[in-house]
Amino acid sequence: MPAKYAIGIDLGTTNSVLAFASLDSEIPQVELLPIPQLVAPQTVERRDSLPSFLYVARRGEVESHEFDLPWAENCEFAVGEVARSQSSENPDRTVGTAKSWLCHSRVDRHQPILPWKAPDNVPQVSPVTASQRYLEHLVASWTQAFPDEPIAQQQVVLTVPASFDASARELTREAALAAGLPDSLVLLEEPQAATYAWLSSSGDDWRKSLAAGDRLLVCDVGGGTTDLTLVAAGEEDGELQLRRQAVGNHLLVGGDNMDLALAYHVSELFREKGTDLDPWQSVSLWHSCRAAKETLLAADGPETQTISVAGRGSRLIGGSVSVEVNREDVARLLVDGFFTKCDVSEQPSRQRVSGFQEIGLPYEADTAITRHLASFLQRQTDEESADSSAPTHLLFNGGVFKSDRLQQALLDRLADWYGDAAPQILAGDHDLDYAVGRGAAFYAWTSQRGGIRIRGGTPRSYYVGIETAGLAIPGAPRPMSALCVVPHGMEEGTEADVPSEEIGLVVGESARFRIFSSSSRADDVPGDKLKRWSADELVETDSMEATLNADVDAGDEYVPVRFQSRITELGIFELSCVHTASGESWKLEFSVRDDAEV
Amino acid sequence: MGRLSLAWRVLTNGELAQQLADLVSAAAPVITEQPVAAKPEPAPVVRNDAVTLLASLQREARLVDFLMEPIDEYSDAQIGAAVRDIHRDSRTVLDRLFAISPVVDQSEGSAVEISDGVAGGRLRMIGETESGRTSGTLAHHGWQAGRCELPTWNGSTQAVGVIAPAEIDAG
Repeated sequence: MPAKYAIGIDLGTTNSVLAFASLDSEIPQVELLPIPQLVAPQTVERRDSLPSFLYVARRGEVESHEFDLPWAENCEFAVGEVARSQSSENPDRTVGTAKSWLCHSRVDRHQPILPWKAPDNVPQVSPVTASQRYLEHLVASWTQAFPDEPIAQQQVVLTVPASFDASARELTREAALAAGLPDSLVLLEEPQAATYAWLSSSGDDWRKSLAAGDRLLVCDVGGGTTDLTLVAAGEEDGELQLRRQAVGNHLLVGGDNMDLALAYHVSELFREKGTDLDPWQSVSLWHSCRAAKETLLAADGPETQTISVAGRGSRLIGGSVSVEVNREDVARLLVDGFFTKCDVSEQPSRQRVSGFQEIGLPYEADTAITRHLASFLQRQTDEESADSSAPTHLLFNGGVFKSDRLQQALLDRLADWYGDAAPQILAGDHDLDYAVGRGAAFYAWTSQRGGIRIRGGTPRSYYVGIETAGLAIPGAPRPMSALCVVPHGMEEGTEADVPSEEIGLVVGESARFRIFSSSSRADDVPGDKLKRWSADELVETDSMEATLNADVDAGDEYVPVRFQSRITELGIFELSCVHTASGESWKLEFSVRDDAEV
Repeated sequence: MGRLSLAWRVLTNGELAQQLADLVSAAAPVITEQPVAAKPEPAPVVRNDAVTLLASLQREARLVDFLMEPIDEYSDAQIGAAVRDIHRDSRTVLDRLFAISPVVDQSEGSAVEISDGVAGGRLRMIGETESGRTSGTLAHHGWQAGRCELPTWNGSTQAVGVIAPAEIDAG
């Protein structure tokens, strides 16, 4: 049965969205699916987004059906708004940032490790399972709304951060298929999805906004992550085309950090007045600070705003305390902390803040988004002409940029760096909260009905770690070189034979390789062998392994192989070992790193 | 509801669907009857939507806390400080659940065309209407709900009147 709907799913770090468009209409009309979810125990409401939180129910709560849904009974967990609201009072029972764990290759993402460091009586789930639960909820919401149009038969696009490497994408896909999404599922990078949302809202007029040679910087600052992408406009066969040129590294810094920083600042103001806030009040303060940030930093925001924290009991006014917060202080705090004035040649500082490490995730040591941006832009600069690499246009995405002052802060930094050549904001409509989901639905629609596509291939190059032969030194690891198997920009639906010396694999045993990726080495081609590299050039991801079944007719216990890499039409990275004599091949699968921490 | 809820679970739970499919395909009709013979569901408890609305306003904006608190002892500044958040959060709830907008989308004080009579309850005339007069001045633009999307509640008899449960700190 042909698909009737194009569906775009934004599986966000803090909020998930499902957008859809009928494939029957002549122009794509993208709508958001209202998502029925628990907003309090036993209370279901439809909201436009599903907070990506999971709450593990207490025993009594399961029996008294507190978290039952229209489509499920005796639920032992809850997702969505009710889970988010539990995160303040029951942090040990709440999973908050499953998506950030998906790309953290130092832990086994299939192990039940979340909530992180939960007490023994709280059952844990794996990052993959938590993601699956969010997607299952979206699928069930779809089924409720469209019982006769199973989601498995629709054209579905799911977004991932551009900075996700192949193994994080594979894990996302695994969670999606387990949740009932179709095999034909396409993964789309979020900044590209935001660009598609802009293309969708501009219609054919987009060609008036961008010209051949223009370079669009997409700056997507979400709740928990920052995702950078550069898209170039060029002319091919007389038609204007878009090509994704580069993506940034995975940065665990976003709007939540800013709200927390502001909440910390305000709680200090309370302390000066002799009020120490309890944990419940701190969360309430966090929410007030988010709202105050948007009000104070709006284009015509007030000079000061009173932030109050209500009492914990039913006495609201009697228990409430308040402080005056000054706009300039807030602007200075957030601009200096996150949109720091810096030189374009500056590198992010690597010094770890110890407090962050306890949470388990590798949060950025340097919260200055501008320094990460500078370092990203520097990597795209070719030596001869520094100017030509300045982006010409800028597209903001993410709720952070609802504050005009923060948009302006980023524009100011770009003006510092590039002067008159600084990029201008892309003309047109911008929906900072829902652009990714909407853009994904638009992309799904165009994949069936035709329309503009952003090309680009793989955003990273990939490498297999090969131990070099030679005398072993007792106690020292053998030196390793990195063999390029996938070049930057390898197109979907293509494959590459990797020229190399033959590699001997043992029959009947599992062969395991360390895998590295790079978002900065754009010139390596398959077969290139790197002897040394810097720590931020090549990033290790999950290992890959394959077991060679014993029916190889080589007769020897070693089988000489070479690598063959492939990017499928759906953008999936595949790596195989090919027996040089017979042509027989074995596909490698992602597995856990040897040095995983859990 | 037993059969329906099973159907929901089958739709959303691949494993259960597989188990059911195995049951259906593997054996005699006697076994396929089993899932249907679930215990009868008790009649759902009905709660007045007004309580559900109060619960939303209390949960998200603490409006009931505010209205139930005696305010004589507080200064205007104290009340004002607390009201800002209550106002913001109550407004969010009303916007989301009711999409409230003016009945007449014009600024107050401007001239309004009066068609036939008072337009079925959408307009209300103040003072005497002279015959033949076709316009008046907008004194209040009115309010209307664009939708009504209250949460649905599915709790027990004991909780039917609960606007906010009592909270117990276990620590």
